[in-house]
Amino acid sequence: MEPLDLEHQESEIELAGEPMLLNVGPAHPAMHGTVRCVMELSGETIERVDVQVGYLHRGFEKMCERGTWTQVFPYVDRCNYISPMLNNVGFALACEKMLGIEVPARCAYYRIALGELARISDHLTCDGAMAMELGAFTPFLWMIKAREMIWDVMEEETGARLTHSFGRIGGMAKPPTAGFKETVRATVDQVLSVVDEVEQLLLGNRIFLDRLQNIGIISAEDAISLGWTGPCLRACGVPYDVRKSHPYGRYDEFDFEVPVGTTGDCFDRFMVRIAEIRQSASIIRQALEKLSDSGSVNVDDPRVVLPEKNEVYTTIEGTIRHFKIVMEGLKIPAGEVYSYTEGGNGELGFYLVSDGSGTPYRVRIRPPCFLVTAGLGKIITGAMMSDVVPCFGSLNMIGGECDR
Amino acid sequence: MPSFKLDDREIPFEKGDTIIRAAQRAGIDIPHYCWHPGLSVAANCRMCLVEVLPPPGRPALQLNVLNYDAQSGQYISQTKPKLQPACQQAVAEGMEVKSDSSEHVRRARSSVQELLLLNHPVDCPICDQAGECRLQDYWLEHQHDAKKMTDEPVHKPKAVVFGPTIVYDAERCIVCTRCVRFCEEVAKDPVLSVRERGNLNEIVLAPGRQLDHGYTLMTEYVCPVGALTAVDFRFKARVWFLRSARTVCQGCATGCNAYLDYDPRVDRVHRHRPRENAQVNGYWMCDEGMLDYQRVHANRVLTASVGGQASVLTSALDSAALLLKDCPPQKLAIVLSAQHSNEDNFALLKLGRDDLKVSQLFFGGKAPGTADDVLRNADKNPNTAGVKKLAPTARPLAELKTLVETGAITHALVLGADAPTPDLVQMLGKLKGLVVLAVEKGPLASVASVLLPASSWAESEGTFVNARGLSQQSDSAIKPQGDSRPAWKLIAALAVRMGLAVDWRKLDQLEQSMRKAVGAGAGQTTGASAGGASAGGAQ
Repeated sequence: MEPLDLEHQESEIELAGEPMLLNVGPAHPAMHGTVRCVMELSGETIERVDVQVGYLHRGFEKMCERGTWTQVFPYVDRCNYISPMLNNVGFALACEKMLGIEVPARCAYYRIALGELARISDHLTCDGAMAMELGAFTPFLWMIKAREMIWDVMEEETGARLTHSFGRIGGMAKPPTAGFKETVRATVDQVLSVVDEVEQLLLGNRIFLDRLQNIGIISAEDAISLGWTGPCLRACGVPYDVRKSHPYGRYDEFDFEVPVGTTGDCFDRFMVRIAEIRQSASIIRQALEKLSDSGSVNVDDPRVVLPEKNEVYTTIEGTIRHFKIVMEGLKIPAGEVYSYTEGGNGELGFYLVSDGSGTPYRVRIRPPCFLVTAGLGKIITGAMMSDVVPCFGSLNMIGGECDR
Repeated sequence: MPSFKLDDREIPFEKGDTIIRAAQRAGIDIPHYCWHPGLSVAANCRMCLVEVLPPPGRPALQLNVLNYDAQSGQYISQTKPKLQPACQQAVAEGMEVKSDSSEHVRRARSSVQELLLLNHPVDCPICDQAGECRLQDYWLEHQHDAKKMTDEPVHKPKAVVFGPTIVYDAERCIVCTRCVRFCEEVAKDPVLSVRERGNLNEIVLAPGRQLDHGYTLMTEYVCPVGALTAVDFRFKARVWFLRSARTVCQGCATGCNAYLDYDPRVDRVHRHRPRENAQVNGYWMCDEGMLDYQRVHANRVLTASVGGQASVLTSALDSAALLLKDCPPQKLAIVLSAQHSNEDNFALLKLGRDDLKVSQLFFGGKAPGTADDVLRNADKNPNTAGVKKLAPTARPLAELKTLVETGAITHALVLGADAPTPDLVQMLGKLKGLVVLAVEKGPLASVASVLLPASSWAESEGTFVNARGLSQQSDSAIKPQGDSRPAWKLIAALAVRMGLAVDWRKLDQLEQSMRKAVGAGAGQTTGASAGGASAGGAQ
């Protein structure tokens, strides 16, 4: 029998040092179905995390190189599909920048009104889902009810609730409907009252506040170096909003605030979105004031905009114009452009290269939430396992946009 | 080299150049309908008008015009420079010409285009020219405004049959007279002329005549709009779905450069049209050659057969190898084909002459046909010169007859299914082994012991040497039809089955050894691309 090692104290014996690896997603509802996190846990604390994206990659940018410039709209619809109108407008503006054309005022205000409605729908979805993922199901249902009201307006205007494909280079597919202003004013009032009610439900709730406040903090410097933009960056106190900093499409004529946060935690990101819903409502009301009831929503340029149908059927000029735009695609002069707008999640950029033909040579999308998601690992490292859900929810990762 | 100024750009020119010709050589396109580099100048469409600045110290030639002033609602008397047709105006040293940079030129182009479309029918959806029509292109580039005229347009005859190949639509016609000039100047058969004046004028046939000379399809080819349409292509395909391959015409030994237009979605060839090459065919092709593409889809051998029974390609190759293995080399004849490319013939030579040591070499091909002094050659084979260069000792196929009769030859490996006489076909049918690699169902195909389906020229790239010794490459357009494979590939497979070492499994390996064997001329493209790229623009 071997002698016992009496010099060795039992308390000094080390336990097996294997860390616990935990995989969450991609098929996990809190990961919105498209992101995978492999976490190294020490107890419930996340020591290290590997965030993997790309599960929803569909090759949109490559597909854009096949059809005409106009046929890109359905693809950008499917990027941030919670606010497709903002993508439509962003892409149209990029093409118009290359063409050197400016849409009529009626179109610009119409785009702003529809775009801000889309932004409200985006923020309602994000904040609603955040609350739901923390167990508050009622606010989610109410906010989705409000989002449905907005989508009803969208359906009335564009014919589609989700993927509108309503933007056109040089204008919009159709002018505003007769009851547009009236419907939107009523809808915005109702949406704002829902937002008020949701605030009453959530902001007095200790559990909700404890799970958001001082969780997932990121400094302004880190956020900027990661390329963050949009509500997530503004929550860190940086007042960068493309609509204010680099106004496009007549945003400079509007009076609105850029809400910012202070600590850059999950709660700030939640509150910035709530505040932006109110700002958007104000912008929409101003846009409706400015929107005239008559006039064209398309530029007067036969090389860009399709002719009236009756002209196509009865005159050779109309037929040729229609033929050229539909079969060959409208021609964008050779060159490249970077055009950026404020999307639901931040700076939505389009880098386009044209070789002068009717087909895009390259369409590169700068998806705001791709860069925001890149910061997920940073904000949840060192946090508790249970913090992953509010942190991820507050970033508003939209799979279609992040992975393209 | 002397030069002149076009829109502030120095353009060199040669003696006798017109503005449009010098500009085109410099890569600048001055819009035009009636001008064609291969035809005489008519200067009747007025689309190519440019502003020629007067020499220093001389007044410009001015016209008095009345311009409507929208502000005052009055017509104001003004002057504008007299514009000159760029297709007719000869260039002189130091001349200054304004084209795109002149407001007067831009207005003139827009107005000419508007006039040409004034009575044009709304036909784009049913017009074969749509997609490659000058009226469409120039509307977008130079006019782009809507119709102003509210009157009923003038109606003229539609779908007039001009002959067996061409249908004319007078409403679409802009009377540029390109077709009239082509018949007179190139085809030397002035069968077309113009009737009436103004917006009533139209192209008519000479009394008692039809458009039936050897180059009728060229009238459709030179037509810048959809007025003349080819019966063969009418309503068959929409041009924006077609892709083009750079080919060499297989109709005769001239070897005209051509584009083969095919639909890649269904692998079907639809049209053969000229590709500009000053060394060979200029801008033109004959009807025979343009319609020769039909052979790609008609009367093809698409499956292998052994003893007249359809067979799987691999087992047919096995049977062929067995047949040929049994035969002593002195009893085997190798028949090359002037219908096939150098690559196919060289592969057969490698197998027969080099590996099997066969000395009895023959070559077949199509029978001679009509010739003229424009393009057509009496030799209806595209590669007679190539075969003669590869195998100078090869004899015409007809001389095989006596050898078969005496029993000196018992087996034959034949490329192509053509045979000069029916009794030779009968004789060859009695051989112990007749292996035929054929594209079409020719006479030899029906008597072959083993028939192997070879790909046509449209399905495989190859080199062809024309009557003047110019070696030109023809690209492939569509995928091999049915079970067919390029003949050189079938021969390689056959060689492998006969237990021979084959080091040419790929086309470039084959071409490399061909170049080594017969020098540069056999497998190299010369002249085929000269000026070819601008063929579309020269229309």
